[in-house]
Amino acid sequence: MTILGTAFGMVFYLLQAVSGESGYAQNGEFEDAELDDYSFSCYSQLEVDGTQHLLTCAFDDPDINSTNLEFEICEALLNVKCLTFDKLQDMYFIKTKKFLLIGDSEIYVKLGGRNITSKKLNIVEIVKPEAPFDVRVIYRKGANDFLVTFNTSHSQKKYVKELMHEVAYRQEKKENDWMRVNLSSTKLTLLQRKLQPDAMYEIKVRSIPNANYFQGFWSEWSPTFHFRTPEITGRMDPVLLTISILSFFSVALMVILACALWKKRIKPIVWPSLPDHKKTLEQLCKKPKKNLNVSFNPESFLDCQIHKVDGIQARDEAESFLQDTAPQLDESEKQRLGGGMQGPTWPSEHAVITPKTFRGDSPFGRLAGSISMCEALVQPSSRSPDCREGGKNGPHVYQGLLLGPGTTNSTVPAPFPFQSGIPTLNPAAQGQPVLTSLGSSQEEAYVTMSSFYQNQ
Amino acid sequence: VSFRYIFGIPPLILVLLPVASSDCDIEGKDGREYQHVLMISINDLDTMIKNRTNCPNNEPKVLKKHACDDNKEGMFLYRAARKLKQFVKVNNSEDFNLHLSRVSQGTLQLLNCTPKVIKSLKKNKTKLPSLGKVQPTKNLEDNKSVKEQRKQKSLCSLGILLQKIKTCWNKILRGSKEH
Repeated sequence: MTILGTAFGMVFYLLQAVSGESGYAQNGEFEDAELDDYSFSCYSQLEVDGTQHLLTCAFDDPDINSTNLEFEICEALLNVKCLTFDKLQDMYFIKTKKFLLIGDSEIYVKLGGRNITSKKLNIVEIVKPEAPFDVRVIYRKGANDFLVTFNTSHSQKKYVKELMHEVAYRQEKKENDWMRVNLSSTKLTLLQRKLQPDAMYEIKVRSIPNANYFQGFWSEWSPTFHFRTPEITGRMDPVLLTISILSFFSVALMVILACALWKKRIKPIVWPSLPDHKKTLEQLCKKPKKNLNVSFNPESFLDCQIHKVDGIQARDEAESFLQDTAPQLDESEKQRLGGGMQGPTWPSEHAVITPKTFRGDSPFGRLAGSISMCEALVQPSSRSPDCREGGKNGPHVYQGLLLGPGTTNSTVPAPFPFQSGIPTLNPAAQGQPVLTSLGSSQEEAYVTMSSFYQNQ
Repeated sequence: VSFRYIFGIPPLILVLLPVASSDCDIEGKDGREYQHVLMISINDLDTMIKNRTNCPNNEPKVLKKHACDDNKEGMFLYRAARKLKQFVKVNNSEDFNLHLSRVSQGTLQLLNCTPKVIKSLKKNKTKLPSLGKVQPTKNLEDNKSVKEQRKQKSLCSLGILLQKIKTCWNKILRGSKEH
């Protein structure tokens, strides 16, 4: 029985659907061409006046003579079957609390009690919200932006609470296209950098249901609000200005100092140069007196008197020697040395250079104590046999400065051969007296510091 | 011998079909109609009732008979929605009656019950808790107080019924989410 009943019901329903009533349509579209003249559209506004809802309909064709036409809504109403619209000029409206808000309603256009056309629609799908109001724009200097706020009456309503808002703004004079922003809240932030400075802007807002359950159309635009953007001033923040000036001057001062002290102070630290021994010697050694005929000039080949001295006594003598007049010393030494040129003589008083003397001492330190290159210590007790032999073999003469402690046992290079008659230094024989004397002739080969200087 | 059993199958189907099929289909299982319309009216009614009455915790026996059992949610809602119409007759404010009508009519709109169910429900009409016979009173004041008491009781029953409807809807929506 159940199956039979269901089958009959389905057949009956299909018959009804196929036959179709005139004017049956969805979403306001009419299929019957004869009734196009009476096409109409409606929108609803819920809770527009307290708990009362408003449904407004109007013909699409404004030229229609609507004198005797009536609108009626049936179904999806509370406690009543149908309600008749009120007419205001060309608009038909009904204000009631009796909308069920669930299911479809049918709207009929009647002429003299006879249905001309009808339309099925759902009240909750043609909702038109109320326009927003109280649009304000506040400039926030600290954040460099504009805060746009507005209000809507739907925040207090029960049914249509969730809306989507659209904010539109543009520059007034330029008549540009509107810039549009969609948002669901009632606050919007516009960045200052995205707006023209010192310009007048206008802004407006509208709303539409959020399409969760209630759907419909855009509301009317809110009243336009005008605001001006601030101009970019040349004035800077005083604190910022002070700091920038101080920074500039500091940098300038540092650059000047760097340029001025580059050679003397900065470059030696950053890129230290290899010390020049001759210059260093000049700095370290005591400045000789004017009377003393001593020169560190590598171009100058002066005769130097070398005396044989005895240890500590030699130091004292050296110091006293400094105090004596230089020319007297030189002449006397020259005479002695001159005699010494003929044969190997070993004046004990002459100062010679021994490697031993310099052992363990820094060469420069020892030299600082000595008065000149030409003065050295020698042990007077012994004679160097090499001195005698030196005359035969062409002994080498050194000025003691080149012999350091490290070179006491090493063979000292002798770039120039020594001519006969002049004793030589024998570094291999430690402790043995070594007598050296310089020839008066400038042509003789001297292994001087100058040669090392030149070799370099 | 074996094909004789075939003749027993159609009657068996006819008997079992009503048991297997649901009595009332619920259309608004996604909950949009309930959340945006019915729940608002139920909450408003609940607020109005609490403001006006001081209801006891005990449930009337009449309402205990029907419950939102599993697979019987549709039937319960159908019965509860029809019961709400009885409360409309009570002298209430316009808004109160409109909310009541919206809950009742809206629920019925979302249900699609079989004619059998509708027929059986019409037969077994349950009445609201009896308001009591109107006793002849000595004065008008006593009459008014009695009426007020009855109204209070009625509203209390309504409040309980509305809570049951709310609970049943929540159960339906929870079930539809799980599936």
